[in-house]
Amino acid sequence: MIHTFQYKEKFYIYDTGSGSLHECDAETAAFLQNEETCGLSEQRKAEIRADLQPLYEAGLLGKEDVSAYPMKSTEIKALCLHICHDCNLRCKYCFADEGAYHSVRESMSFETAKAAIDFLLKNSGKRKVLEVDFFGGEPLMNLSVIQKVVYYAKEEAAKLGKKFLFTTTTNALLLNDEAIRFFNEEMENVVLSLDGRPEVHDLVRKTANGKGSYEYVIHNIEKFVRMRGDKHYYVRGTFTAKNLDFAKDVLFIADKGFDSISMEPVVTDIPELAIREEHLETIEKEYENLCDEYLARYAAGKGFNFFHFNIDLEGGPCLSKRVSACGAGNEYFSVVPNGDIYPCHQFAGDRDFYMGNVFEGKLNEEIRAKFASSCLFTREKCDSCFAKFICSGGCNANNYHYNGDINKPYEMTCAMMKKRIECAMHILAEKKAAEED
Amino acid sequence: MIKTIAKPAERKITGCGECRSTCQSACKTSCTVGNQSCERISREKKIEKK
Repeated sequence: MIHTFQYKEKFYIYDTGSGSLHECDAETAAFLQNEETCGLSEQRKAEIRADLQPLYEAGLLGKEDVSAYPMKSTEIKALCLHICHDCNLRCKYCFADEGAYHSVRESMSFETAKAAIDFLLKNSGKRKVLEVDFFGGEPLMNLSVIQKVVYYAKEEAAKLGKKFLFTTTTNALLLNDEAIRFFNEEMENVVLSLDGRPEVHDLVRKTANGKGSYEYVIHNIEKFVRMRGDKHYYVRGTFTAKNLDFAKDVLFIADKGFDSISMEPVVTDIPELAIREEHLETIEKEYENLCDEYLARYAAGKGFNFFHFNIDLEGGPCLSKRVSACGAGNEYFSVVPNGDIYPCHQFAGDRDFYMGNVFEGKLNEEIRAKFASSCLFTREKCDSCFAKFICSGGCNANNYHYNGDINKPYEMTCAMMKKRIECAMHILAEKKAAEED
Repeated sequence: MIKTIAKPAERKITGCGECRSTCQSACKTSCTVGNQSCERISREKKIEKK
């Protein structure tokens, strides 16, 4: 499949089958969009055909898309440990019911966390690299268990010649010196929640007594990033209908000296915060604003890493990953404080998706089979989409929560994803041009 | 005018699982596999450079 798109005055060709990206002129783009109606002379069409021919011959254009599923592993690779179903914030848009997941507020015991690690190791087959993500609620409300389980997991993995990569997602409210030291020693990645400008952050991310939390977290995040060195972290924000000018929030975060940033559209049905179809044009424009400023800062030597503008076309993931994506419900699971297992954090507490318990060690094979068989090729809508091998069919949970089916991608998510990918490709082209100069 | 920006290596079906799980990277809601690099290819490139 050949996709052409325009970014301001630039025209690009993305070949879905091969994954190659080309820059072209407006006439070539028009020709590829529709040879019949492009309005070009026969002579010009012949010239363009001649220009394109070497690309076809080299397999860089018009390469047939892979359309069959090559493999599916049954080895478990990663767990999201809900180390604490409680939170010290009351964020308005929280999908997790402000930490409680529509159940009781509780913390995971070391015994349960240990059983989860044993479960992962036992079911990881030949996998050498395993991952555990400490999630909540707010994980730092249960730091002592995180510490114990990290040391336990490392010891057990070493016995089997395996290795763990740990991640923690935190609101940074309890990010004190002890936590920073521990995270810097043991966490491969730390995700810190900050929505951007103080007024934006405080509007939704409130403390239990209803006060904005910005002033409580910002100094902790600054200190953490100062001490992080070159290890991975992300300052991650959420944008809502209240800040459709979210590029300003990303840039605000960058101006604070945080150079690894992610900003995600909210997932909520709260009317005043939810992203709706009528917002899409503004959001797409805002991604362009962000893209332009991103490139301006890059050119000025003040570049930063924006998660969704990264794209690796030359050395990206293997086909297996492109087709199977996050692996939720098959190679990736969530474990809640009592040890119950769900396909991922977004399904936690939904009994229709209860898959077992780490103390029993068995998984509901019916649910697992449903997730295991779900992939890019079971999502009909993805078949004609240029972004399919980059987005891999969207988030199972989003698909389910918006469209009632893990195989039906949510249109709004698709539209935003496609825009971000086009921005990322433009950035790739501009960076390459700058390197050549 | 046509200028090739990116010429990918052939997409292999390795599935070795060395790379990070998508959901663990940053977003937790809008996963994008294409912005990840293959750990094996990256490692091999580093060795080549050395």
